[in-house]
Formats: sequence, structure tokens, C-alpha cells
Amino acid sequence: MTSPTRRSFLKLSGFSMLAACSRGLDQKAIPLLVPHEERVPGRAVWYATGCSGCAAGCGVLARSRDGRPVKLEGNPAHPLSKGGLCATGQASVLSLYDSHRLHGPRSRGEAVDWKRVDAEVRAGIEAARGSGTAVRFLTGTIHSPTVLAAIRSFGARFGNFQHVQYDALSSSAQLDVYEKMLGTRALPRPRFDRADVIVGFDADFLATWISPVEYTRDYRAGRSLEEDGRHSYHVQFEARVSLTGANADRRFVRSPDGLRDAISELAVAVARRTGASIPLTATPKPEIKELAARLTAADRGTTLIVCGLDDADAQKTVAWINTQLGNYETTLETGRLSHQSQGSDTDLLALQREIRAGAVGLLFVAQCNPTYDRPGLLDLTKVNTVVSFAGHDDETASKAQFVCPDHHPLESWGDAEAVDGIVTVSQPLVAPLFQTRALVDSLNIWTGGTDGDASSAYDLMRATWKQALLPRAGAGAGSFDTFWAKAVHDGFAKLKPATVRVKPPAASTLRASAREPGTEGLALVLYAKTGMLDGRHANNPWLHELPDPVTKIVWDNYACLSATAASRLDVKEGDLVDAGGVKLPVHIQPGQHDDVVAIALGYGRKGTDRFAHVGPDWLEGDPTVEDGEFVGKNAAVLRGKARVAVKTANGRRVLACTQPYQSLTVPEELGGDKRPMVHETTLKEHRRPSASPEEAHGSHGGSVDLWPDDHRFKGHHWALTADLSACTGCSACVIGCQAENNVPVVGKDEVARAREMHWIRIDRYRDDGDVAHQPVMCQQCDNAPCETVCPVLATVQSSEGLNQQVYNRCVGTRYCANNCPYKVRRFNWFDYPHDDRLANASLNPDVVVRSRGIMEKCSFCVQRITEAKAEAKREGRPLRDGDISPACVQSCPADALVFGDRNDPDSAVSKAWTDRRQYRLLEELNTKPSVGYLSLVRNRDV
Amino acid sequence: MSDAVSELREPLTARPVSYAEITADIARPLEGKPTRLWYLGIGISGTALLLGMLAIGYTISTGIGTWGLNRTVGWAFDITNFVFWVGIGHAGTLISAVLFLFRQRWRTAVNRSAEAMTIFAVLCAALFPLIHMGRPWLAFWPMPYPNLRGSLWINWRSPLFWDVIAISTYFIISATFWYVGLIPDFATLRDRFRGLKKKVFSFLSLGWNGSARTWQRYEVVYLLLAGLATPLVFSVHTIVSFDFATSVIPGWHTTIFPPYFVAGAIFSGLSMVLTLMLVARKVMRLENYITKGHVGSMCKLIIGMGGIVGLAYATEFFIAWYSGNPYEQFVFMNRALGPFAWAYWIMVSCNVIVPQLFWSGRIRQNLALVFGLSLLINVGMWFERFVIIVTSLHRDFLPSSWASYKPTLIEVVTLIGSFGLFFTLFFLFCRFLPVIAIGEIKGVSQWAQKKPQEVGSGGGGGDGAADSTVNGQTEEANA
Repeated sequence: MTSPTRRSFLKLSGFSMLAACSRGLDQKAIPLLVPHEERVPGRAVWYATGCSGCAAGCGVLARSRDGRPVKLEGNPAHPLSKGGLCATGQASVLSLYDSHRLHGPRSRGEAVDWKRVDAEVRAGIEAARGSGTAVRFLTGTIHSPTVLAAIRSFGARFGNFQHVQYDALSSSAQLDVYEKMLGTRALPRPRFDRADVIVGFDADFLATWISPVEYTRDYRAGRSLEEDGRHSYHVQFEARVSLTGANADRRFVRSPDGLRDAISELAVAVARRTGASIPLTATPKPEIKELAARLTAADRGTTLIVCGLDDADAQKTVAWINTQLGNYETTLETGRLSHQSQGSDTDLLALQREIRAGAVGLLFVAQCNPTYDRPGLLDLTKVNTVVSFAGHDDETASKAQFVCPDHHPLESWGDAEAVDGIVTVSQPLVAPLFQTRALVDSLNIWTGGTDGDASSAYDLMRATWKQALLPRAGAGAGSFDTFWAKAVHDGFAKLKPATVRVKPPAASTLRASAREPGTEGLALVLYAKTGMLDGRHANNPWLHELPDPVTKIVWDNYACLSATAASRLDVKEGDLVDAGGVKLPVHIQPGQHDDVVAIALGYGRKGTDRFAHVGPDWLEGDPTVEDGEFVGKNAAVLRGKARVAVKTANGRRVLACTQPYQSLTVPEELGGDKRPMVHETTLKEHRRPSASPEEAHGSHGGSVDLWPDDHRFKGHHWALTADLSACTGCSACVIGCQAENNVPVVGKDEVARAREMHWIRIDRYRDDGDVAHQPVMCQQCDNAPCETVCPVLATVQSSEGLNQQVYNRCVGTRYCANNCPYKVRRFNWFDYPHDDRLANASLNPDVVVRSRGIMEKCSFCVQRITEAKAEAKREGRPLRDGDISPACVQSCPADALVFGDRNDPDSAVSKAWTDRRQYRLLEELNTKPSVGYLSLVRNRDV
Repeated sequence: MSDAVSELREPLTARPVSYAEITADIARPLEGKPTRLWYLGIGISGTALLLGMLAIGYTISTGIGTWGLNRTVGWAFDITNFVFWVGIGHAGTLISAVLFLFRQRWRTAVNRSAEAMTIFAVLCAALFPLIHMGRPWLAFWPMPYPNLRGSLWINWRSPLFWDVIAISTYFIISATFWYVGLIPDFATLRDRFRGLKKKVFSFLSLGWNGSARTWQRYEVVYLLLAGLATPLVFSVHTIVSFDFATSVIPGWHTTIFPPYFVAGAIFSGLSMVLTLMLVARKVMRLENYITKGHVGSMCKLIIGMGGIVGLAYATEFFIAWYSGNPYEQFVFMNRALGPFAWAYWIMVSCNVIVPQLFWSGRIRQNLALVFGLSLLINVGMWFERFVIIVTSLHRDFLPSSWASYKPTLIEVVTLIGSFGLFFTLFFLFCRFLPVIAIGEIKGVSQWAQKKPQEVGSGGGGGDGAADSTVNGQTEEANA
């Protein structure tokens, strides 16, 4: 070897530099400084991962642009969510870029580095081990095999350790009942797709109950309109108005006590028909008798009764009825049990007693917020050391000595076995934005693991999978690396389910539920609201500005009263009332029981004062919340009360509602006509063989057209259909669209001024107690009234039937919006705040952020159309049906929306276009919309 | 224009005056110090203008969101004010051009101020389409000018573009007409002033020499311009009404709109002229030239136009019912009985009921009352546009999108500001230009009606010969 030359020195040093720079491990986010083979700037990359919005465990495809996740969509291959993703899941991408997340660990309220907090927590652990005091690990529902294993092995180091799980939205009573029936603390998985008759008792399974996306998919699958398909008959009993109730074929209003009675009545009525004897005495009401007749007339195992009441006796009776009807193992799947709710209120109360007794020396709190959702229950001052893993400085974290913030799920590895044998894999899409650390890492480090290298979460997860999951995968799984690679690629692994035998409850043990004591005030119903759920997403402005599917109100919670109850109290919409000490504005909710006050949980969260100035700041603009106040009020303080006194309080609070007029019937004094926006029919009528499509709904053919036949759409002709029978109004599309199209958040005052910016809205009409949901976006008219009136040609027709808005040409006359019969155009009244630079990272780079003074609207996600066309061209093939899926269509858990090319006769949209149910909004104006609606079919006789 | 006026008619000036007196009377406000009333007037209107400018500045710097508009009601005060001001302008053209062609010689007392009013009103009107834009700094984009933006062009199908053309045409013709009419008076003023003012008026009078030939050519030009301006009385508001009539919104999409709007425009313009006449008469001490007879004629015209407007209101309701179109029927029910019923009934009372009071000669002679009633009609006509725009928009096809509308302070101040602009310009006009056409009023004065042989003994006519602005016939009469 010759002595080094200048050249060889440079080569060597260059090589060593590169070697030092390389970050070969794929589990780390890749900086763009090092070009990656697969990474093309400007081209999106998709990764399969898991949703963290709630414990339902849906699968997600995350879209990463230039190294940052910008959009979450349902993973179509995922066995639970099957491509759907709810509003909460869609919105969780914004939470990643939340600048109010904790930027690093804290010790006694002070920001410190990990070294110091680790040393202090270790000292606490050693002290607890030394003294032998109780160590408790309090969490929400955790079904992650890795985290559970880590907690188990962590707990093994202590003499007195217990992992306590509880849920803010509790199914504890139901779990207690099933624990006895199944021998394991899990729930059977309701299969709405297999049921001919569905009875719901206060279970809002299409919106917030346990796993709404999964249930919505299944529910929709069981409501076929084909001649020989299954179309379930759905009856809902409830006290308030839930989205599920609004979608039911029959809805019966009962007070909370009445619901329990109705369950007993149904048990009695079913027992009479099956000849069983039960120790319940109740006189079934006619509708219950009729329902029992339907249930027993149906084939065994084709009915399903679900109950959302947190009442063990009621749950047991429901389980007994389900047994009588043979529903276990068919409509209540026990092969794959659900772990989507695990909490035990008994354990939580035991923990309360221990803490009160001063027996707990060390408490870890993760993925829950007991100080907020169980106010006053746990006296944390009596615990020596509290360690929180919260990502925000929430109510509980601010009381903890140490806060060791966990990653946002998009920053870390993770898994979730929400349903037996279906394990969702989460993978990081971006390097942690802050100095946060995965929970399993923290536990590992405190028990003498590695030095805090973030890769350890990855190693720990792999180890768990190798040890615990691979053996369950069966012979076909191959080597661990193959198994792992497939799971990471697919976003989930399917394992063999465990076999469980159901031990039905003995009829003799059935008891009528105890009546709620007291008659004063009104019966209290606390409920979860779409998006906000238990309050864990209170930092997400998208979810605050999502119109509630039932009330269409944003940015607040409120006391829902029926019109009768309100008039008894002499209050009007927006008047403040004092409900058991919580001052809330009144919302008058038609269809609610007269003896009920219903209040949403999840509001009044600490930190929501940040939204005071979320909207534009101008002379007459009101703040979204007063300085120092939170968004809404925390109703969890009323937990445990069956009835509350509701008194009028002084003052008013305007509720911002996106749809003040809620009926299709115009006011009586102005004519009282019912407008034909929603076409409705019954299942019977629909299945009656009819001669021609025209007959079905009187088509409007052969009209004279003043327009020249100058746009013929020779190539593609994009169109969308919305099936009103399938749409549940869940509003996932609204958030999906907001994320995709950079729709700004405008704040409460702007919404109250009817200036919300959402490009898609769900019109909700209530007539004679029946509710209809109608998604309305730009109708992309072929004869668009907006186009003719724009003086500067800022809105024009594309050769593919799109009504395009040219932002940089728009001068903002608003004439187009005035002339739009569908009122789908949105004007930028202000420069909406984009000061939070971190939040701006969630913006979709494919869609421009609109400036002040211009008009905008739904574009059918033209950026996706363009992308799909470019991709097809690159691959040298024609576009296929299904290549393009606008954000709303993609997100719909009910498959209510179909998008495609009308010029392709085989496309799904072309088929829907010729469906007998198809009609178009305001067809008589000859605007020729490219959005079609399929009429609403209700399963009832009249 | 020099035809003799029948002796049976009421004289068009209150008392007989000589040419010299006429010139002196009308030029007086330009020569002396303004009255206190004038200072008060311009003080108030100037303040209003200033406030309006502040409001407009705030709107442009902050956004249209400072107005009470929303996703459903995209226009309200802005276009209401626009249509209102355009309408005001119409009476000016009607009086100066149409009445000229019909040889209604009473118009001479009011035509100058009516034409001024037209121009100022069009200026006020033009302000609103400008500031109602989301991005007013791009207001030149609706103009069809050659540009380098590729194939970008304007939309010839858009009624807003038609508006641009109609309004600018109207402004140009009206301004020209007004200026041409002023030329003889500029010459008179040139002869009365010294120094800078003389230079300015010399320039403006385009070398007028008062010769018969000059007068003859002047009158031909004036006649031609009157002919050109006349169609504008009908075309401008017809086109403005197309903004609504060509849309698809029930309550807007109405074929009656062109004649309805033209009648409404003339109606509102007449009442505004009446208002201004009464103000100018008092403030500028022109009682001799603007007589009760003039006021009476205006009132009679108002009765006629008010009748047409009332008929239009009734026809709209009838057609809505007759059409069988439920959306159309609803809009009209909603106007009369819905949340904006108060605005509708203000409109009906002011525009249909108030003008009926003018049938009474006693009321027509009571100038204070006429002034009050003319203001009411102005209010009514403003509400007519408000009703058409807001009540049609706020509840259209889909009940889900129904919304209400409430103006913000900024919008109210902007409206006040437009009145400020209008009256500021009007007061400046009163101070710096002759409010009555000197040349024309001389032609209708009693003195001009005298037979040539009487002239010699006529009192105070001596310096008439030195006056270069006496119109053609009287010039000859002097000779």
C-alpha cells in the first residue's frame, strides 16, 4: 500500500463522513437532506398505520408529503374499519402539529431534560420498592400487546402493583356482565351486518359507542336495497336524540328509567313467546309486543340487541334476550372478542379508596385524565409521587410531580389488538417534533434499559411480537421477519382467534334495574358528542368547529331540553340554565324526552382557553370564548347523578348553529309547503317492481334548453352520487375535506354569522319526527349559474365537467355565491389566521391556501384527479374506476358517496346514475348538476 | 327653447326680474361669502364623508367580513346602496334631457342641479361595486383592456360587466351634457371675475363669445346630447336590473324588473331632486327661481311614477301566485310576512301610500311637508332595493342554507359616508358653480317674454346688452 495521496485521503474522509451521516434504520424518519430512492419531492408516500382517535383500533393509511404526514384515511384492507375513518380519526393529524403539546418532560411543573426527570423518577421507583407501598398504573383502555407487556414487566419489579383501566365513556357494567359469561373481560363483537332486526337501547353505535366506524360499515352492509339482499329493521329506544336514533327505522323516546323498563318489557314479551320463565314482571307496551313478535319471528341468530346503558341489570337482561334469540356466535361474535373497551369502574373505585387511605405511594397515569373526567374522585395530593405520560399539560398532568410526555402516535411505533386476533400496527411517519418519548421507552429506561435511544420502542415491539404474537399467527406466517414485514406493510396482522364458550346468564338471576331515586328536577343524560368524545381531543379546533351531526351547533356544549321542558322552565334557545351547578346555554332539541336534560361530555377542558382568538380579529368580532374561559363546561362533575335540578340562570350565550332552519317544510304562515330536497320512499315501495326509472320518480326529460350544446365532455365527465339511505350524517367527510383542502378554522363568532368555511356540509332535515341527512357539496353543474355571472371568468367549466374556481383570478364580487341555488360557495371574508407555523405543517401542499377576498368551494378534489391521471399516464394505462377518490368519498364509513366518470358506462357512478332512486337537487332549474342523490329508503310499512 | 310662454301660464319666476338681476342673483353665491347654513351643511356632510372614508379604509384593510354578509346573503347594503344611487341619478337625466325634448320649460330652474345630482349620484353609486369587491385593488380586471394574461378576458355574459359599461357610459354622457350646458354660464362668470377665477372660467368657457352663431351651434349640440342621454334613462337601470333578472334566485329572476327598475329609479330620483331643490332654494336664497310651481310639477310627476311602482309591486305578487312556482310564491309571502316584513312594509308605505298625499294641492304648496314626504320616498326607495336583494337571498331554495342578515356599524357608516360624499359635492357645487342655468332661466323670465316694443321702457334691462349670455332670441330682441 502506497502512502495516502490527497485524492485517497479525500475519498476516505468522504466515505467516513457519509458513513457517519447515514441513518440506515428505517424506523427513523428520513431527513430530506439524504435523498431516498423512493422519495420524490412533491410525490406523496402512503404508510399503513393505526388510528389513535379512540380505542376502536381502526386502520389508517397516512399520506406523507415531503416527510410530513398531512392526511389520514381509512385503510381499505383493514378488517375492522374497512377503509372508513371517522371525523375524530381524520382530525388527529392536526393534533400532531399542535404547538400546545408538551415540548419535553417536566418535573414539578418545571421544564427539565430527560436525564433529570429519569433520575428523579428512578429515585421514586426505588423508594416505592424499598417501602413496599402500593404502586398503581392507571390508564384508559389499553389493548396494545407491547404496552401491556411493558406494563406487566414493569410491574413485576414491585411487590404491590396493579394496572387499573377505566374509560371516561364507560362500558364497565356491560363488561362486568360479559366477564362472567365469557370468562374474560371482553365484549362480544356486535355484527350489525348479520342482523335482520336491530334493537338499540341508548347505544349510539353509529356515532360514539365503542367502535362507530366498524359498526357503521357493518350496519350499512346489512341494509342492502337489492331484491334479495338483507335489509335490517332498526328500532332505537333512547332518551335524548342520538345520531343512531335519527337513523333508525323506528325510534321510541323513553326516559332513562323508561329505557330500563322497556328492556324488562321486552324480556317479558320475548319470554312469553319463547315460553321461558323469568322473574321479571312488566307489562309490555304495544310497540314492545310488536317488536318481540318481530324478533321471535325472525330466524334464530339474525337479530341483535345492543344496550349502551351503564347498568348491570339491564345489560344482563339484554344478554339474556340475546341468548333467547340465539344471537351469540352469529350477530354477537364471540370468536373475535372486542377489547375496545376494557375499563372497570370497580377497579377505579378501589383505587380511590386506596388513595384516600394513603396506601398508594407511586401512581402512573397514562392515556387518561381522571382529574378531568372523574372530578374529585382521586385525591392525587395523597399520593407521594404521580408520574403522568400525558402529551399535554392537562388537568391530571398539571397535578403530577413528573410529566414524561408520550409521542403523538404518528411519531412512534405502536400496536393495538382492538379485536381478538386483529393487531393493528402503527409506525412513525415523522421524527418526534418535540422532546417526547414513547411510554414503553420510558418504562424500559426506568427499569434499567438502554440509554433512551428512541429505537428501543421499535425493539421492544418487535420482541413482543416475536414472543407473543408470532406463535398465534399460525403456520402460514413464515419467519418472524416475513410476518413482521407483512404486518408493517399491511398495517395489521391477522392472528388466530381464541375460542371462547359463552355461559348464558341464568334466567333466575335477572332483576329489574333499580329505579333512579328522586323526582325533582330532570333526569340527567350525559353523552359523548361526535368528534369530541370524552374530551381527549379538546385541543383540536377542527373537531370544535365540526357541526354536531344532531344539533349542527359548533364550539359549545349545552343543556338539551325538549320544547315542553323548555317552556316549563320558560327558557328559550341560548338562555343560560343552571343544571346541578353547571351553567349552560339551552338548546331546544325536538324529539327528546320531556323529563330529560342531556349534556355533552368532553367540554370545559383545560387549555381550550387558547381558542379565544381562533377566528379573525376585527371591530365587531366576538371571541370564541371569553379570555380565561374554556370551550364549553365540564359536565363530568355531574357524573353519578340520576337527576339534576335545572333552574334558569341570568344571561344568554349565543349558540353558533350552521343550520338554523331545520325542516324541509317552510313556515306554516308562509305557505307551509314541503320542499322536495330529500326524496323518500319505503323499502316495500322501493322493492315493488316498477316499469321504468321514469316512473319511479318522474324524470324531467325532454326539457327545452336555451343553452348551446357547446360543452359535451368528450373525455371524462366526473360525477358523484350520494346515497341518502346510506348516509348516517356522521360528518367524517366534513373533516376529511377540511384536512385535504386546507379549509380554515374561523371560530364561533364567524359560524354564528353564517360564515363557516366547510366545503361539504350535511344538511339535516327533521320533519314529523323523521330525520334525513343530505351531504351537499358543490354540485359541479354542467349549466352552472355561478359561471355566467362572474365578470372576470374566475369560475369556468372544465372539459371534464368540473366547475373550476380560479382563485388568482377572483376579484370577490360574490355574485356567483348569490346565484348558486345550492349555496355551496364559501367566501374568504378575512385573512384567516395562519400564525401557528407548526399547525401550518398540516396543510396539504397540493392545495393552495386561499387569501382574503376570494371565493372558494368544493373542487371534487381536483388535485387528486390530476394526480391519478398523471400516475395512470406514467404507468401507460387508462384511468380505472376507483383510481380517484375525493377526500369525502374516501372517508365515508358507510360508502354513501361514489365518485367516478359518467362517460365510463361500467363505472360505479354510472350505475348509480341510472339507479331508480337517482334524482338531482333542483333539477327543474336545468343546472344539470354532476352530483346525484339516491333517495332515502326507510324500512317501514307506511 | 325660446318659444314664448303663454301668458295664461303661471310665470316661471316668482317676480319679474331683469337679466342683470338674474345674473347677479345666481352668481351671488359664487362671489360673496357663503351663508352660515352653507357652512353648517358642508360641515355635516364633510364629517359624514370623512367617517365613510374611515369605514371604507377599514373594510379594505381588514376584509369584507367587516360587513354583516354571510354565505347566504352575499350582497346587502353594498348593492342596495349602489342601485339606490344609480336610481337617484336618473331623475337628473330625465329632467335635463327628456323634459328638454318635451319642451317642459319649467325644467330650467332645476335642470342644472338635477344634472349635478346625476353626476354626484353616479359617483356615489360607482363607489359601491368598487368597494364591495373582495379584492378592490383588482377592480380594473372587469375592464376589457388588452393584457398580457394569456387568454384571460372578461365574461361578456356577466351582467356585472354590462353594469361596468352601462354606468361608465352614463357617467361620461351625463358629465358631458352637464359641462356643455355650463359653457354659457362659465362665460358669464368669466366676465364677472378677475384674476385666477377669470382665468379658470375663461378656460372652461372654451372661448364663448355669445354670438348668434355660437348660440345656434350650442343649441344643436345640446339638443343632440339630450337625444343621446334620453335612452340612457331607460338603458342604465334596465341593465342594473339584469343583475337580478338574469339570475336564478326566486324574487330576482323576474321579467318585470327592467321597467320596474326604471320607474323606481325615476321615482327615487325625482324625490331626491325635490329634496335638493328645497335645500338649495333655502340655502342659496333662490326662492325667486325655484317656485312653488316647480315643486308642484315635481310632485305631480312623483304621483305618476309612484303609481307605476305600486303597480309593479302588485304585479310581482300576482305573477308569483299565477306562476304556480312554489319557490317564487314563498319569496313573496316571505317578503310580506317573513322576518324582513318590516322592511317590506316600510317600502310599501313610503312608495305607494306617501305619494298619494300629493294629490292634494294644499300639501303640494306646503314646502316643509313636501320636503318631509320627499325624504320618506327616498327612504322607501332605499328599502325597495334592500327588500329585493336581502329578502330574496336570505331564504332561497334549500332551507338548510337559510340565514339572516344584520348590518354592521361599518356598513351603516359607509352608507352615511356615501350621503356625505353626495352632499359635500353638492354643497361645493352650490358654492362654485351656478346652480341655475343662467342662460336658460333668462329665456323663461317674464322680461324675456315681453314684446320688442316694450323692451325700451322695460325697467333695468340696460345692461342686458352687455351680457354675453343672453340667449339667441333675446339678443335679437335687444338689437
